[in-house]
Amino acid sequence: MMKIAVYGKGGIGKSTTVSNVAAALAGQGLRVMQIGCDPKADSTTMLHGGTRIPTVLDLVRERKDDFSLEEMVVQGFGGVICVEAGGPTPGLGCAGRGIVAALDKLAEKGAYEVYKPDLVIYDVLGDVVCGGFSMPMRQGYADKVFVVTSGENMAIYAAANIATAVENFRDRGYASLGGLILNRRNVKNEQQKVEELAQELGTDIVGTLDHSDLVTQAEELGKTVLEAFPGSDMAQQYRDLANSLLQACRKGGDKG
Amino acid sequence: MKQTARIISTYAADVSGVCSALYELGGMTVMHDASGCNSTYNTHDEPRWYDMDSMVYISALSEMEAVMGDDEKLVGDIVSVAKELNPKFIAVAGTPIPMVIGTDFAAVASMIEKRSGIPTMGFSTNGMHSYLSGASMAFAGLARRFCLGETEKTEALGANILGLTPLDFSVNGSAQDIKALLEQNGIEVVSSWAMGSSLEQLERAGAAHVNLVVSYAGLETAKLLKERFGTPYVAGVPVGREFSSLVVQRLYSAARTEENAVAYPKKARGHFDGVIIGESVMAHSLAAAALLEQGKNLRVLCPLEAEKELLGADSLHVHDETDIAECLAGERLIVADPLYKPICPKDAVFVPLAHEAFSGRIFRRDIPDLIGRGLNSLF
Repeated sequence: MMKIAVYGKGGIGKSTTVSNVAAALAGQGLRVMQIGCDPKADSTTMLHGGTRIPTVLDLVRERKDDFSLEEMVVQGFGGVICVEAGGPTPGLGCAGRGIVAALDKLAEKGAYEVYKPDLVIYDVLGDVVCGGFSMPMRQGYADKVFVVTSGENMAIYAAANIATAVENFRDRGYASLGGLILNRRNVKNEQQKVEELAQELGTDIVGTLDHSDLVTQAEELGKTVLEAFPGSDMAQQYRDLANSLLQACRKGGDKG
Repeated sequence: MKQTARIISTYAADVSGVCSALYELGGMTVMHDASGCNSTYNTHDEPRWYDMDSMVYISALSEMEAVMGDDEKLVGDIVSVAKELNPKFIAVAGTPIPMVIGTDFAAVASMIEKRSGIPTMGFSTNGMHSYLSGASMAFAGLARRFCLGETEKTEALGANILGLTPLDFSVNGSAQDIKALLEQNGIEVVSSWAMGSSLEQLERAGAAHVNLVVSYAGLETAKLLKERFGTPYVAGVPVGREFSSLVVQRLYSAARTEENAVAYPKKARGHFDGVIIGESVMAHSLAAAALLEQGKNLRVLCPLEAEKELLGADSLHVHDETDIAECLAGERLIVADPLYKPICPKDAVFVPLAHEAFSGRIFRRDIPDLIGRGLNSLF
């Protein structure tokens, strides 16, 4: 079982990228589990027709421990196993601690043993702002962290910050940095800026995605590009990225 | 009112269970908590505190360290103290504040071990569970860490005693008497987890043919030892003459068949004469002994963590004060810690059986050694 966590600045396209990658790999016959780690609980929506699904923390809040693993999970497009961690009431509680509780609950209910996914993808809210948001990169969770960035300065700062957190956690046995994913916004010198960032961080750009209207169109249909426009060039870009991510994981060894 | 104890006491928390389980083993245990909170632990939950040295510390977590997530201070402090004291192992246990800020104790332990070279375990206790959960984590942590190599089995029937802490057994000779009883019956006690044994003795746990689980705190370790060495376990506390003989018989038969067993009956028993409140293994053992020796049919009410395999078919597993009070309504005989008395029916016969984990030191001198002195010391 490979496990990866995807981070990046808010609004950079993590959920879109992750959902399309999940759909692409599911299309290759892999069993993929996508876990949204954002209180907004909208990571997997494009995999199940733009609908909302019950979150782990909704279930905990309403039913304490009286619910089954199956109730935490929805099978999406291509059989992708979709989970949303959810969060506390907006403006209250602690979202980071919520992620810890949700991922603990998922493990406690045997999600990894029962569904036996080949790949688990944690789609994590924006930046590593507190202990809770580093949970997906802790030992036993992701083996590799990938950061989605564009050439925009804010996205680059956020990517650098996340990479620093990963580096700081090295002696804790946490995940290592797998690489950057360039999600183009067509800003000036975009390729060069992200290449420089990768060099500074001692990592690689593992995949590049063009800015495409098809992504927005698919989103409006409540679908991934893979489902809505499977024959498009954009769908192929996601397939290529999915394969690169797998390769980058295998390069670092499968920690099972 | 749910999850609230308005009248009765609450049980010692999981962090006390970790400290209690590890107390005698030569390790250094650090509760990661604000300074000042350790009096709950050492004054109320640890009867060995004044008579036996142990390296139990509090990290004195400050508000800003919590806000800033400054694990570096915790790690640095522990490493520097450990280098002076040279403990056999280090254990770091959490409390509510680290739980809220999501401290990763496994990572903290790994950092401490890398820098100090001393085996270190991290326990994600959070004050939200009882001492049994903490002691269980600590014993299982020791088993995972220290019971690694193959060990030659003892010549005579060898047994480990698992789940023994003063929080359930106080310091009144019970621990020694369990050991003595087994030895009188030809059983060699390889190790006692963890009263009266050293870490080195615990490391030899694989040499035993069978394990005796005397509380829920020993169950996870028993399962680990079964997995690792194939050692079967028997759950039961050898209280009272007749039930003790049964426990001993079960130990011999489990060693022969290699099947786990629960020494007390678990089937439904019909009409009850009263209720006994307590930890699952102890309360069921006492109920079995009371039936065998005195013809009293007691139903068990367990307000603590327990697994189904340790509970009788008719046993009550309830936690909240209001639910417990409801269960006790109409009962004529109640055996429980004296701090339960205010929620018991006024016309019920109340038999006090103080439980260190519930009432701390208040009734400590009245806690009977039920193993050595038998049931007559209770009824």
